[in-house]
Amino acid sequence: MKKLTALFLILTMLLSACGGKDTHTPDLSAASWDQIEEAARGTSVTFYGWGGDEDRNNWLASVAAPYMKEHYDITLEVVGMNIDEILAKLAGEKEAGSAAGSIDMIWINGENFYSAKENGLLYGAFLDKLPNTGNYIDTEDPETLNDFCMPIEGYEAPYGRAQMVLYNDSAVTPETPASAQEMLVYCQQYPGKVTYPALPDFTGSAFVRNIVYEICGWEQFQTMEADYDTVKEAIEPALDYLRSLNPYLWNQGRTFPDSSTTVDAMFADGELVLGMSYSPYGVAVGIENGTYTGTTRTFLFENGTIGNTNYMSIAFNSPNPAGAMVVINAMISAELQLSQYEQLRNLPVVSPAKLSGEERAAFDAVDMGQGVLSQEELLTHRLPEMPAKLVPVIEEIWLSEVVGK
Amino acid sequence: MKTSLLLRLFLGAAAFCILLPAALLVLWSAAARWSWPNLLPESWSGRTVAELLFGPQNIWPLLGSSVSLGGAASVLSTLIGLLTARAAALYDFPGRGLVRFAGLLPLLIPGTVFAIGIHLVLLRAGLADTAAGVLLVHVMTALPYSISILTDVTAALGCGLEEQAAVLGAGPARGFFAVSLPELTPGILSSMSMAFILSYSQYFTTLIVGGGRVKTLALVLVPYIQGGDRSLASVYALAFTGSALVVFALFETLIRRWQRRGDKL
Repeated sequence: MKKLTALFLILTMLLSACGGKDTHTPDLSAASWDQIEEAARGTSVTFYGWGGDEDRNNWLASVAAPYMKEHYDITLEVVGMNIDEILAKLAGEKEAGSAAGSIDMIWINGENFYSAKENGLLYGAFLDKLPNTGNYIDTEDPETLNDFCMPIEGYEAPYGRAQMVLYNDSAVTPETPASAQEMLVYCQQYPGKVTYPALPDFTGSAFVRNIVYEICGWEQFQTMEADYDTVKEAIEPALDYLRSLNPYLWNQGRTFPDSSTTVDAMFADGELVLGMSYSPYGVAVGIENGTYTGTTRTFLFENGTIGNTNYMSIAFNSPNPAGAMVVINAMISAELQLSQYEQLRNLPVVSPAKLSGEERAAFDAVDMGQGVLSQEELLTHRLPEMPAKLVPVIEEIWLSEVVGK
Repeated sequence: MKTSLLLRLFLGAAAFCILLPAALLVLWSAAARWSWPNLLPESWSGRTVAELLFGPQNIWPLLGSSVSLGGAASVLSTLIGLLTARAAALYDFPGRGLVRFAGLLPLLIPGTVFAIGIHLVLLRAGLADTAAGVLLVHVMTALPYSISILTDVTAALGCGLEEQAAVLGAGPARGFFAVSLPELTPGILSSMSMAFILSYSQYFTTLIVGGGRVKTLALVLVPYIQGGDRSLASVYALAFTGSALVVFALFETLIRRWQRRGDKL
């Protein structure tokens, strides 16, 4: 018993000892870029983001990290963590008042950016400090400046771009429905073989917003209030359409698959004849590693599909914001964007107009693989996202008005 | 005759339930494409195995940190569990029921709530994002199991044999090590295995308390399972299960050998 008491005492002491480290996040507002690069030399930077993409993990480990080491003497540590957990961790650190955190850079966008910015979990404006912002990014482009209609105000820098695409196998179904109406006919033709991921799955949610755009147009949503009744009234025709789709969907639309990865797997297994994805070049990767047949191809709605940008931001309590800025600056360079385009088939964020002739030729020379659309085809059929605040409202309406109706 | 048939049926069913999914994992980890209605994959690929063994995300340091965390957690949790069990089972003191109940408390709180709460405490203590903090939390998670397993075996053994050794002139330490400990070995072994597998499979607590800085196999495995690449998820799941089994076997051999040496004395 004595031992237990002693142990208990030690534990209590350990737990209550306030070992608060007093290293504050340095203020870099007055520093020049040379000073920032100098301060970053020999440091390490942590980059927190989703860790479920094997190709991206490999790219970060085998291209990005060695690049940072070689050019800036920075050790890039990549940590795989879901954004919900990253934000929970930051909120916890804020609550505990711990001055120096452990997260430098975060991979983020949309609703998460909105809530992180609102709750003061981000470092602040830094985009204008980066030389490559001026060198490579189109700073007039509303898509880059607004993340789900929320002005980024320099709090984050673009990392990559995604766009909703549809895909199917030409050997199984020759048709490629190019609009919501054609989609309905397609579903009637292949009853029980089409579905979409249940909201609030990221891809499922984007697909439903895309249907809303198809039926109701996209402009009115850019400035809409996030009020349940207003939104419901505006999307009522789209809800009617989705309900009319239900009888022809997988399991008669009574239930939906839990995630986009399930839909991809069901397509690969032949249980579905059509899938949707937020990675426009995902089909090429699938064909290459043998998951999809060689006759699988990507297509779009004629009126366009939703595209969005994902970003890198800096945590409010980053122990090394200078290092984070140097890494982010390198990530938006033509060199690393090209490497992402080649190896990850990620739509680049650099503006073609700002590239040198040589750089542009290098981008054009990349072979994107089979079954995919050209960058030009994608970008000319690209629609902006809705305001982040509308997204959860639409998800809520879908749950009560569409599932099983 | 009838019982043996029933037993065989039961064993067969159990083997089927365990071996079939395991066999599926093996097939999936080598399959490139496996669509309905084929009984076997249509095409094979060594991609995932190459990725696991030679990919930039090196498996060996992950295995090393997972196994050492699990090993340390299993030893600590069994040690504390054994002391608690002896106190609670063999001695009568005020508050004995409370000690037994308090030992089970971490089981009653939902895991996520526990993780977020303890993260705040460890942040203030300066133990967040450290291996020591993660180890502490793993031990807390494993303790209820260690305590309840060891309390049962200690109570079943009682202290009669130790008293007899004392009558024959053995001191308390010799009484415990020469008489009780060998009898408790199976219990200690199950407590260690249980604590090990609990620590080995912790995901959320490791992630929150370790802040992603303390890397374990489970931390890499779970995103791949969620990520939907079934072949990659399968190969990691196999590595996870296989390595845990190897450690179990190691525990068992070590303890048996040690026990045999004890017998000779």
